[in-house]
Amino acid sequence: MSNLKVNIAGVDFKNPIIPASGTFGFGREYNEFYDISELGGFSTKGLTLLERDGNANPRIAESPMGMLNSVGLQNPGVEYFIENYLPWLKTIDTRIIANVAGSTVDDYISICDKVSIDGVDMVELNISCPNVKAGGAALGIDPKNVEMITRAVRDTCRKPLMIKLTPNVANIADNARAAEAGGADAISLINTVGGMAVNYKTRRPVLANVMGGMSGSAIKPVALKMVWQCYNAVNIPIVGLGGITSYTDVLEFMICGASAVQVGAANIYDPMASYNIVKDLQRYVDENNIDINELVGTLKVD
Amino acid sequence: MMKDRVVSVLSNTKVADEIFEMVVHSEDFPELIVGGQFIHVELPSKAHPLRRPFCIADYDVVAKTVTIDYAVIGEGTEILSNVAIGSKLKALFPLGNGFSLDDSYKTIALVGGGMGVAVLPAIPTTWKNREYHSFLGFANASKAVLVDSLREKGEVYIATDDGSLGEKGFVTSLLRSKLDEVKPDVILCCGPEIMYKSLARELEGIDIPVFISLERRMGCGVGACLVCNCKVKTAKGDKYLRACVDGPVFPMREVIL
Repeated sequence: MSNLKVNIAGVDFKNPIIPASGTFGFGREYNEFYDISELGGFSTKGLTLLERDGNANPRIAESPMGMLNSVGLQNPGVEYFIENYLPWLKTIDTRIIANVAGSTVDDYISICDKVSIDGVDMVELNISCPNVKAGGAALGIDPKNVEMITRAVRDTCRKPLMIKLTPNVANIADNARAAEAGGADAISLINTVGGMAVNYKTRRPVLANVMGGMSGSAIKPVALKMVWQCYNAVNIPIVGLGGITSYTDVLEFMICGASAVQVGAANIYDPMASYNIVKDLQRYVDENNIDINELVGTLKVD
Repeated sequence: MMKDRVVSVLSNTKVADEIFEMVVHSEDFPELIVGGQFIHVELPSKAHPLRRPFCIADYDVVAKTVTIDYAVIGEGTEILSNVAIGSKLKALFPLGNGFSLDDSYKTIALVGGGMGVAVLPAIPTTWKNREYHSFLGFANASKAVLVDSLREKGEVYIATDDGSLGEKGFVTSLLRSKLDEVKPDVILCCGPEIMYKSLARELEGIDIPVFISLERRMGCGVGACLVCNCKVKTAKGDKYLRACVDGPVFPMREVIL
């Protein structure tokens, strides 16, 4: 019997396709192109306690089969989201994952409390943001910090908690284990890979912020490897992302151990990308009469 | 509902030094396009996944065509310049707010600098029966584009950096020198930001509304990814707005240049 329904940490998704945070706004823009209730869910633009302006322009650069961004978490603040976007999102039959970020541990604790409300199905903790208390390094790099922040928000986060891992670490399996030890219900990976773009004529960086995060097809091999490493390290479900642009990419991620996937840069290239992947994936499971869940972690390595 | 369209390339020719003009056709044509809006074009290259935003230089609702004038400045535009006639490209259009012309604006000054000139011809196509005066600035005669097309819509005044075409000097000074004669009700402008700064200086103390079109590196083009930020004065203070949906056209006095 063909099936696309998946369950992540107790939350039912009608299919495993979830647009990634920062590539889908708060859903309204893409709902102008198609009914976004066709999607399994989506992860909101990263929210912070207070409104953030983000970085100076330029914030985007192309790289071979990919792109770099340095938006810097521009968002209207969590209260604005709750008052102005959430009421509409509640009318949409899709899962809403609130992606949250902060500068301090207290920020994370507080924002997790604020978004643990009706209409939000899951919380995704973005711990690859710079400018945090932990010695100036990102909270998500040292596994000890990953476990600490996960444990710190565990009580105030009254929704299934997913920790979004950065690939810019020594051994991502250690970070995955740290999230699990801290009480995470799921992990999502990978966030963007640190990168730069340079104009040789002007000898200047293309991004105003100098450094940015790379996404798109170019990072898919890195993401597949890390999903596989984490699948072998933890028992909590994995939501895989990094360069997914087609239904075959989705199948590859699920075979490596992802229970669902997020689609990021592809939404920026093509507003229909996530919708088309859902339709193509549906056709694939129908034609092959398979339950998508059967694929998870079936990579043959013998 | 918005939609992603497939356009076919009718022509793609060199019209000036490192500048090309492409005309694309779509049988499924949008009901409404206004001058100042843009088209977001997919390149026929998997290595170059980001779309490229170009202002709609002109359009024809009967022929169902859009004209794009572009300078070859990087890998993307290089690829575009090699696209063959008959090729199909995905394109989102029309995007952005475009200009908005009050009925009281009878005499209109169009000001373009370099490739910024490419935003101008669509304006008289949208708002007919007005008096247009186009002020065009180019580096030199070899870079001049769309001059004939704008001459069909009204008087044209040209300035070049080296004097190889029209007057030698800045187009903003040329505009200032003709202001009392032309007496525009509004000034619509597109060019590099340095030109806007110069325009703001030239027009200090002169009470004529000015609208400018901003250029940004762009991502989605539909307002979701927040990469095309422009700093604009709002009731809530200086805010980053999106060039793709809040703009690309803004009143000049509101933009922080």
